[in-house]
Amino acid sequence: MTYYMYSNTQEVTPYERMMASLNGEKTDRVPVNFYPRWAALEYVGATFKQAWDDPDIYVKAQILAQERFQYDCIIDYDMMGPVEEAIGAKLKYPENDVPQIAEPLIKTKEDMKRAKWKLDPRKDGNMPKVLYAIRRLKEELIKRGRGTQHVPIMTWGSCPSRTAACLTGFKEWFLIVARDPDWAVELMELALDGWLQMVIAAWEAGVDCVWVNDPVSARDCISRDHYEKLTQPYERKFIEAIRKETGMNVTMHPCGNWHDRMDLVYQNQADCYFLGPMDIELCTQKAVETNEKGLSRVKALNGNVGAATKSTTDGQTAVPYATTMKRGKPEDIEKESKVVIDTVEAADLRCILGTNCWDVKGSSFANRDAMVYAARKYGQYK
Amino acid sequence: MSIIEQVRKNVYDGDENNTVELVKKALDEGKTAKEILDDGLVAGLRDCGDGFEKGEKFIPEMLMSSESMKKAMEVLKPLLLEGSGGGITGRAVLATVEGDVHDIGLELVGTMLETAGFEVRNMGPDVPTEDIVEAVKEDKPHIVGLSALLSNTMDIMPDVIKALADAGLRDSLKVMVGGAPVTREWVQRIEADGYSEDAIGAVKVALELMGAE
Repeated sequence: MTYYMYSNTQEVTPYERMMASLNGEKTDRVPVNFYPRWAALEYVGATFKQAWDDPDIYVKAQILAQERFQYDCIIDYDMMGPVEEAIGAKLKYPENDVPQIAEPLIKTKEDMKRAKWKLDPRKDGNMPKVLYAIRRLKEELIKRGRGTQHVPIMTWGSCPSRTAACLTGFKEWFLIVARDPDWAVELMELALDGWLQMVIAAWEAGVDCVWVNDPVSARDCISRDHYEKLTQPYERKFIEAIRKETGMNVTMHPCGNWHDRMDLVYQNQADCYFLGPMDIELCTQKAVETNEKGLSRVKALNGNVGAATKSTTDGQTAVPYATTMKRGKPEDIEKESKVVIDTVEAADLRCILGTNCWDVKGSSFANRDAMVYAARKYGQYK
Repeated sequence: MSIIEQVRKNVYDGDENNTVELVKKALDEGKTAKEILDDGLVAGLRDCGDGFEKGEKFIPEMLMSSESMKKAMEVLKPLLLEGSGGGITGRAVLATVEGDVHDIGLELVGTMLETAGFEVRNMGPDVPTEDIVEAVKEDKPHIVGLSALLSNTMDIMPDVIKALADAGLRDSLKVMVGGAPVTREWVQRIEADGYSEDAIGAVKVALELMGAE
């Protein structure tokens, strides 16, 4: 391990590199953040369930994998579940995947009374377990950084539309959007607070930055009109509340294809956008335009080396998405990484290199290494 | 606008409150259940699918069209089963392959196939290959639909196709595959029979595969 520890003692730490980029500033080079859940677990040979049952396994996985791969940010459990479970949803825990909703909690308006909307993350459900993992990550990072924190910890928050959809079931959520928009609003209003409290508690436990996501408002799911009138206001409200309560930099992941509504997404006021399988040129151009109009504050774009396929986009993409992280070769990763770095940095936004959704389970170590290598090769600022 | 055209437009618009009334009116005007199904309901659902492809319709609207059609089918199904106009369109077994817990797409495909007159056994997410083979033995479906959202779990799809072949079941059915990482090239490589990028498209493909039998 000594060899890999070496670059954690280099002049610019991953913490400084990542946090500077989230603030739109340059350090030595482009940082890498590919939301390394599976990289970490695969590196220590643990399943997700093992790491969930024993948070110390998760902590060990995150710490050792960062030392091995040398990316610039680690994550906590980073998943749907703890808040939804505390609200009252029943979850199932697969052997090697994140938890899923076993049964929708809310099928009728009457069911809303069964939900516990006011949560205490320090007491309710499995939320204290997540907070324990964060505190342990922080301790380990400070210990290994010889007294200073050398790698940032990122936590995750679910946008109200996603939480509401998890509580009702996805199909039912879309029917509610069509049949009863007022109910959709009521659900999002109630759903917002649980995850906000969780993010605040995570910040108090030691995380440095946060990302939020919404997979149910993409162009693949709802119309631009429904997005603008129904779900987007709650994304913005969630992001602004996080910033007000914690002061943390916020990254938003518009999951899926959002090409026709990036102008609206950027108005959610996140600092950074973790891009899904979308055209990097189009996303960069839209960010510049909305910034210039004073409608957004985009400082960085995170992504978006292919983890999905071209079929999940509307064909506009300039980046060849062919499940690159899983099936591509290191040279494919390097090539796509260069396109992303060059495009984003040319617009004077900061590029944070990453995949286009969570780190892909089963990707080769060589491909993960290739992304860090590409950041070093093509992402130098000097 | 003829009554059949009104039924078609009603499904396209997803106006679930008026469907039953329009279908009853069409029957009163002497239209057969089969005519109403094919030229009204299924055509309306296809229009909705075209709208989805063009970016004019989205999942909520698609589901509302599906709900409209379901309500209409409550009136038409007994008539269709009487033999006056036909029966069920076909049987389908659907599953997300083992190791993959995603089922939004699968749910939508199941709903759309049901509304198009298929008898659907939706086995849900994370289904072991041997369970799929058992279900096929029991149900003798015309269509097996396999879903995977993850690029690593799509590797299970050819295993399922091989297991169906090993059990001597492959020639009696068509295999459709879908999910975000699935491409036409992948379908050819694993020797599946059909593929769709979305739920409405899956109905079209299933109907085509049924016709090809």
